[in-house]
Amino acid sequence: MGDPNVGKSVVFNRLTGAKVMESNYPGTTVDYTRGYMRLDGKDVEIIDVPGTFSLEPKDKAEEVAVKMLRENRDSIIICVIDSTKLERGLYLALEIIEEGYPIIIALNMWDIAKDKSIQIDVKKLEKVLGVPVVPTIAVSGEGIKELVSRIKEASPPDIKRVVERAGGVK
Amino acid sequence: MKLAIDERWNLIDKIAKQVVKYGTYRSTLKDAIEEITVKPLTGIPIAIAVLYGFWAFFGAFAGFFTDGFFVKFFDNHWLPWLQGVFPGKGGWLYYILVGDPTASNCFEAFGALTSGLFVAIGVVLPAIIAFYLFLTILEDSGYLPRLAVLIDTVLHKIGLHGFAIVPMILSLGCNVPAVAATRALETKKQRFMMAVLLAIFIPCGAQLGIMLEIIPQYVGFVMIYLFAGFFIFGFILNKLIPGKSPEILLDVPPYQMPIGRNVRGKLWIRVKGFFTVAIPFVLLGVIIVNIMYLTGFLGWLANVLEPVLCGWFGVPKETVGPLIAAFLRKDLAVAQLSTINMTIYQLVTSVILVSLYFPCVATFAMLIREGKEEGWRGVLQYLFGSLATLTAVVFLWGGLIHLVWIILGVV
Amino acid sequence: MGCGEEGLVKSIEGNLQNKVAGMGVRVGKKIKMATKQPIRGPLVVTVDNYSISLGMGIANKIIVEVER
Repeated sequence: MGDPNVGKSVVFNRLTGAKVMESNYPGTTVDYTRGYMRLDGKDVEIIDVPGTFSLEPKDKAEEVAVKMLRENRDSIIICVIDSTKLERGLYLALEIIEEGYPIIIALNMWDIAKDKSIQIDVKKLEKVLGVPVVPTIAVSGEGIKELVSRIKEASPPDIKRVVERAGGVK
Repeated sequence: MKLAIDERWNLIDKIAKQVVKYGTYRSTLKDAIEEITVKPLTGIPIAIAVLYGFWAFFGAFAGFFTDGFFVKFFDNHWLPWLQGVFPGKGGWLYYILVGDPTASNCFEAFGALTSGLFVAIGVVLPAIIAFYLFLTILEDSGYLPRLAVLIDTVLHKIGLHGFAIVPMILSLGCNVPAVAATRALETKKQRFMMAVLLAIFIPCGAQLGIMLEIIPQYVGFVMIYLFAGFFIFGFILNKLIPGKSPEILLDVPPYQMPIGRNVRGKLWIRVKGFFTVAIPFVLLGVIIVNIMYLTGFLGWLANVLEPVLCGWFGVPKETVGPLIAAFLRKDLAVAQLSTINMTIYQLVTSVILVSLYFPCVATFAMLIREGKEEGWRGVLQYLFGSLATLTAVVFLWGGLIHLVWIILGVV
Repeated sequence: MGCGEEGLVKSIEGNLQNKVAGMGVRVGKKIKMATKQPIRGPLVVTVDNYSISLGMGIANKIIVEVER
């Protein structure tokens, strides 16, 4: 899952070898797509869903995303975040964490963030959130391998602990 | 535990402060392009230039391959060869697959292997490739959301918002994915309006390609007439349909250089989609129309509908054949119109009728599917809503063009 | 608020908050108006480093204190 236009479908295509349409405008993906990838010698199903800014959907495509999340209670969420828009991506990530899903974060478009001289301390972010965070450049495939290898580390962090580690919500 | 919105943002600010460092940011060329493409004073002329460029590229590219290569190949080599070697001249199978044995070009022959293949591969394929090549580049660059911002004011007048431009443009390629794309609109009212309007008024790339081949001087007129209808009936629907039309709230992504691999990949998916869906339908369409003709059904139907076709719309009764074909493929229908003996004004009217009167089956199926997304009531609403709009549009907007010709005194 | 001006978001009307929260618009945030379309058309504002387009009606529900 992730905000619109952060490259979810690109990541999905990279993971599954599928060919889902990827475009540079929000709302390219309006339906979910199922695909399969090899993980530790097993075929696991992964689902590409439309982008949404929050779990309070405002159109039909976003509704699809939220519905898929709720229908698949036992799944691991790969949350794709645009590295240049970290704050906004974290909003959705936190909402998902609050609901108690195990989550792994892909900081996509890492190259563009670098160009804009935005530096993100990945280790620190991992520590605060308590989830694996992997920088990726999905269009070129960089970081995808690491993303795959760390999916099994995904665990549902307790939002209270996240708040403590970050230093409160006030 | 759930956080309140403010708490969540405070938490994010705290996290961000610890992990992100923003370096000094230099203004780049990208920012300059960004600015001139959304500022109305420069953005609107640029939008017009881009869309015109799109149109010019489409016509030039498709024309280059169709006229420069395929017309010659099909008319000079394929048709005479097939007419020569196909057994059973005059038999029904010959008629269905090869068509008129005396035909000298692939429009007139109207057999599945002659006109069918010529329309699908010779005319429509180059048009589809040209369209999607340009569209894919526009999509990947990130221009479309800017276009949405610029056109919002206009579309807002008919209860849609700027983002509706995305399904509209997709629709010029094929109505089917365009209907699916309406899902990104916010309210049910907007989704329904958009899906129905584009299914009725916006001709698909296949149809555009064939129109450019048959009535090149009048395509502009047909398009303007259809788009005028789009806005007028959009205005009416907006008044009739209850529901909200919220304002635009859209994320505008940064520009990006389209990546060759992705452009090729998407172009391939779309062209492949065309091959697997369109070509069987075109061939099937030719076969069905030919069988209907051979069995005399078409002649009977033409006589039954003659008062409506000739009286109300002012077109020859033979257009009933193309109108049947249009259920399956609009491109095929337009190609078939060109073989009927009529004035250019009647031809323009019937091309407009083919566009308006019924979305092709694939689009109609998609409309119903979208209705289903809203539950069973949605199916009924989409079904009857679209049929009612359709009937009104065909008779009013289709009849009006006849009236225009009468007033101009060219009938 | 005029073109090119910056300001701090003072308040956002009730249920609109839910809608724009995920997009990054929130109370206390600095936003900049990038462009404005004529005839009550939509605006483009930038928050942090992203651009969002919003209709006039929506924009009117967001009160911003302009910085000079």
